[in-house]
Amino acid sequence: MRRSYLRSALIYLSALLFLFYLHLPTYQMLLTALQPWDEFIKHVPPLLYPSHITLINFINMFKVVPELPTYLMNSFIYGTGVGLLSILAAIPSSYSLARFKFKGKEAILALIIYANMLSPIMLIVPIYRFMRVLNLVNTYYSVILAGSIFTTPFCTWLLTSYLRGLPREIEEAAMIDGCSTSKIILHIVIPLSAPAIVTSFIYAFITGWSQQFILALVLIQRDELMPVTQGLYMFFARSSVRWAELMSAILVSTLIPLAMFMVVQKSLVRGLTAGALKG
Amino acid sequence: MKEGGLKPYLLILPLAFVLAFITYSMAETIYLSFFEVSYLNPFYKKFVGLGNYLWLFTHPSPTRPYILDWLTRSLIWVASSVSVKVLIGLGGALILNEEFKGRGIFRALTVAPWAIPWAMAAMMWAWVYNNQYGILDSILMHIDKYTGLFKALGIKLPLAFIGLPLPSFISCLIADIWAGVPFMTMVFLAGLQAIPQELYDAAMIDGASSFQKFRHVTLPQLSPIIMVASLFSIVWTFNSFDFIWILTQGGPLHATETLPIAIYNVAFRWLRVGGLGKGAALSVIQIAIVSTVIYFYMKLLRRG
Repeated sequence: MRRSYLRSALIYLSALLFLFYLHLPTYQMLLTALQPWDEFIKHVPPLLYPSHITLINFINMFKVVPELPTYLMNSFIYGTGVGLLSILAAIPSSYSLARFKFKGKEAILALIIYANMLSPIMLIVPIYRFMRVLNLVNTYYSVILAGSIFTTPFCTWLLTSYLRGLPREIEEAAMIDGCSTSKIILHIVIPLSAPAIVTSFIYAFITGWSQQFILALVLIQRDELMPVTQGLYMFFARSSVRWAELMSAILVSTLIPLAMFMVVQKSLVRGLTAGALKG
Repeated sequence: MKEGGLKPYLLILPLAFVLAFITYSMAETIYLSFFEVSYLNPFYKKFVGLGNYLWLFTHPSPTRPYILDWLTRSLIWVASSVSVKVLIGLGGALILNEEFKGRGIFRALTVAPWAIPWAMAAMMWAWVYNNQYGILDSILMHIDKYTGLFKALGIKLPLAFIGLPLPSFISCLIADIWAGVPFMTMVFLAGLQAIPQELYDAAMIDGASSFQKFRHVTLPQLSPIIMVASLFSIVWTFNSFDFIWILTQGGPLHATETLPIAIYNVAFRWLRVGGLGKGAALSVIQIAIVSTVIYFYMKLLRRG
């Protein structure tokens, strides 16, 4: 009995320590965003808990960063663009990989694993030159096109493994009835694999929304086209940072990908971990 | 599985296009590394042979870093970051593998940082490290106020986490490790849950202690997953850009300038002439290293 008390005390203690590390930045973000700034800086050193709760910073952030709605809208466009393009490419490709035997399939499967490991920073030089030559720098297209290159492989992998687990009888029956491949994909494959499609869309959306910082940094110089990560970074990089407003803006613009992530958390985490372990 | 004639090839065209673009980009990187090209006017290029590579390897002064500086720094970066990620991830997974009240909340709080955009997280960390109002210094100062610990040790607070070369490097590391821990934890948790209970039962009958069970059952069963996850993480950590860029931009005194930061600086910031070409040469090295790691990773996947 005594041992088990000790054991659970140990578990809780290490869990607390673990969460302390993982949520130190989030805690300070909340602390700064939800407190009046004057209150925050009044104490030296600052208090570790809020003395007053206020939402005033969420109003002020629109005054301090007037472009914030534009940034958020742009991030939404980048996220949606990357998400849609990735699943549009992944659906037929994964159907082909999951249902047909053809020459070169093994090579393509290996290339998918390889491509999934690449980061935009590795290919940023040719991507920049490509977009410059096509005159796409400072357009939505450049970031969406380049971004999809890095999300499509994982989306295809996720959909392929999902499709492999689905029974083929319905498709085969439809085929015998003379259904065309496009009809089978539209009316059978897409509805049946909807959960996996939603998961891949959200993965690509989050990546496009925020995770491809370097792409926007290199391809976008105009304020009205910046995603929220880059826009807030520009604000952050100026000499005097308004922390309360910055943290409020970060909180708001993180909630959207966070909410989407949490909706599909189970399947996305399963997909991402399995993607790394099984290939 | 059926043969579909042309059909599978037509269906896979979108993916083939993506893979073709990646292949093209790599070929283009190698090609550009032999030319003088600038980001200001990428239409003009002049053949310089191995000139860009020679530039990378010349070391005119200790203040201007060159390829070996970047490589060593990246190596230290990856080695320390990945090993700590594995250790903390393993710890987190072991906690999550236990039955306790509040486990669901703990799990949700563990994966949540995964969804925070790295650029945003980097700014949050910059605020944590702030030496006027940052929470890290606040905590230390509160501890000092009640215990006098730091005064007794002769350490002057607040500490500057960013500003001096070595502390900056460690601060960037801590932020980067933070970003990798949720993934590691969930990967190891999946691995732990796949270990058959019979092995633990057998160990129990043999009278093994908790530590012996961990040492002789858990670790050997988990080691293939630790290997694969480490290789996966090496690639991501090696490519890590957002945290370093936002926290220090590679400074102070190039102390946090890893290979990806160097690529961005060389290609787009330092040089008005020939930057893109020299950046391409650096990218070739980056791609070669990453591809080698991916090769071993894929070999390991095949075996498993």
